[in-house]
Amino acid sequence: MTSIGARTGRPWVLGGALASLVVVVPVLVIFSSILRSSDGVWAHLVETRLSVYAGNTVILAVGVCLLAGVIGVSTAWILATYRFPGSRLLGWAQLLPLAVPAYLSAYALSDLLQFSGPVQTWIRDHFDLVAGEYWFPRIRSLGGAIVVLSFALYPYVYFAARVAFLEQSRAALEASRTLGRGPLATFALVGLPLARPAIAGGLMLVLMETVADFGAVDHLAVDTFATGIYRTRFALESPMGASQLSAVLLSALFMLIGLEWLLRRGRRYHRTGTRCYRAEGIVMGRVASVAATVLCATPVLMGFALPAARLGQLAIEGGDTRGGGMLAGLAFDTAWLALLAAVIAVVLAVVIGYAARVRPGASTAIPAGIARAGYAIPGPVIALGLLIPLGWLDHRINDAWTGVFGDGWRPGLILTGSVVAMLIGYQTRFLAVSLSFVQAGFSRVHRNLDDAARTLGSGASRSFLGVHLPLLRRSLIAAGLLVFVDVAKELPMTLMLRPFNFDTLAVRVYELASDERLEEASTAALLIVLVGMIPVILLARQVESGLGSDTEIERR
Amino acid sequence: MTSLPQYDPPSVLEIVDLEFGYGRQPSVIESCRLSVASGEVHCVLGCSGGGKTTLLRLIAGLERSRGGTITIDGEVIEGPGVHQPPERRPVGIVFQDFALFPNRSVQGNVMFGMRGIPRRERAARAEEHLDRVGMLEFASRMPHTLSGGQQQRVAIARAMARQPRVMLLDESFSSLDTETRTEIRAETMTLLREARVATVMVTHDPAEAESVGDRVSWLDACCRRDDPDGKACIRD
Repeated sequence: MTSIGARTGRPWVLGGALASLVVVVPVLVIFSSILRSSDGVWAHLVETRLSVYAGNTVILAVGVCLLAGVIGVSTAWILATYRFPGSRLLGWAQLLPLAVPAYLSAYALSDLLQFSGPVQTWIRDHFDLVAGEYWFPRIRSLGGAIVVLSFALYPYVYFAARVAFLEQSRAALEASRTLGRGPLATFALVGLPLARPAIAGGLMLVLMETVADFGAVDHLAVDTFATGIYRTRFALESPMGASQLSAVLLSALFMLIGLEWLLRRGRRYHRTGTRCYRAEGIVMGRVASVAATVLCATPVLMGFALPAARLGQLAIEGGDTRGGGMLAGLAFDTAWLALLAAVIAVVLAVVIGYAARVRPGASTAIPAGIARAGYAIPGPVIALGLLIPLGWLDHRINDAWTGVFGDGWRPGLILTGSVVAMLIGYQTRFLAVSLSFVQAGFSRVHRNLDDAARTLGSGASRSFLGVHLPLLRRSLIAAGLLVFVDVAKELPMTLMLRPFNFDTLAVRVYELASDERLEEASTAALLIVLVGMIPVILLARQVESGLGSDTEIERR
Repeated sequence: MTSLPQYDPPSVLEIVDLEFGYGRQPSVIESCRLSVASGEVHCVLGCSGGGKTTLLRLIAGLERSRGGTITIDGEVIEGPGVHQPPERRPVGIVFQDFALFPNRSVQGNVMFGMRGIPRRERAARAEEHLDRVGMLEFASRMPHTLSGGQQQRVAIARAMARQPRVMLLDESFSSLDTETRTEIRAETMTLLREARVATVMVTHDPAEAESVGDRVSWLDACCRRDDPDGKACIRD
């Protein structure tokens, strides 16, 4: 029922459209660069680096999707279907790798596994070998990057697949068993196909994160689009060439998103069964239990325990020599920046989400769709897409100032020389995160409440403040928390957009790690991991509550 | 109403002293006995939560028993140290909510259980089974486009396609409206009797049990009051 509010809520609609500009503007700027000249940089890139960037990015993306997909789906299936000692704990622990950003994983694992690292040193000492006498996989390689990113990102697939497996009608799986198919065939023929849309969604997230990754591939010496854009901008000092490179990457990404949307359209499976018999899972035998434990513990070890333990060890042995005061300052700067970004992201998401509620239709659905697509844009691309227009705006402001007040004092770079550019950039990418939470929150508020408030004489804004806001409180806090953490971990955009003399924890870690001073970087890195635990706990509670509702069904 | 058989044919399904409970909790089913002959329909009555569905799940191999044996055609499929997995038992089951695979067509659902024969033959056989339940014209449809009664027919065709020796019906008609229920129930029973399948049907409706069962027994939290002349038991 939208008739009551047909003409109200116009400010919300306008606000929603304006909010989506944080995504529209950088994208348009990037694409407009195709029409401009880059003074030969583009031709040079095509001749020399483009094929390397494209080839590495494609191989990396395909490799990570395959490996993360296999790890995520198999752990999800085992933990959703079977029960063995420790299976509950392991089900929760699969989310832990999300607390360690890929670049920290890359720093810690390469430190452990490189030639001078403790593992290879131990092998040489123990077996009395010297360099060249033994083979050890090179961590600083495309293969190494695939492994590091897969173990860092597989929880996205795990989470999506696990929810899908738990929601499946157990009867369909049992029907397969009584129709003569064993456990493995049942997984392949019934469980997996039914979870495919959810798994595809998880894989899309993995793909976007892989393509957007800068810190890990940079450290592991793999040239992808993300590092290429950064280098073209700063080493070749060609913003236009970097923009054109970004345009190529964005076109490919948008095509992929479109393709996935087309494939997914109308491919949702309808549930035919409703009953859930055994949410607690099938009890495993002893040998199978050991195998399942090893299988499910390895990714947690690689994605969380090993990197975190190595960082912890380095922090205890050395740590940041510049002392606690410096670190506290960095943590404080990071915190208020992330807090500010989170508050803005929640406000913008509420405007877009509520506009779509009071005025369902294209005028509100399109801004919402645009805002959600922002997550697909890699950080370096956003930074470029903002630096050009904001820099232009800064100059216009200064020109106007001089025109009015004369040639004396000037305001300087208000936008690009302050945190404003960063704050806008964070919205471009992370508005999608808060919007998904806010939209989920709105969907849980029954439409009758809107109608009731309206018939009782409240306009759109008063209904929002009096009815929706109190009911949305938990969703808004969750949305803000996730954006806070994403911003606190963010590396490439912060690196490119930060003003002089402004560092976050992530930037400090990156700079130290680039100088091979990982020991000093370890303290700040551990702080990032600690902050990263927040969404893990949030998600884990969601997993637990998911289990709760299952046992409820069973009880009924 | 079907008359009781004049002689005692050799039973296909034989359950002796079956016992079951979840985890360390007390037994839900105790010293359960049941024997069903070829072509016979045995109705098990009981209130909800009385273990009726659990009994069927034990026969299908979806649960492990604590004690006792289940035999089909003389072969022990469940007993001390024996647990044949569900996929190896000659047992078909029609779930209460039918549990059709939503990602497969009607024909795909029926073909799912047939193995070791060429695809074309499987397709042809599936069509035969669908024809028998009057669903041939819906072969290419997806399950969610069917009505409850149609889904029911497909579920029966799917279970029959594996040519089971024992068929289990778990309140399979309870979600249908009265008219459809009577019609489909009669058709199903004819189909099962003609195929000489031993059928166990659980229901909470005494009238339904009386009208279709060759034998009826009462499951009162367990099978302790199992009575071969169960019809008397219901009148209590």
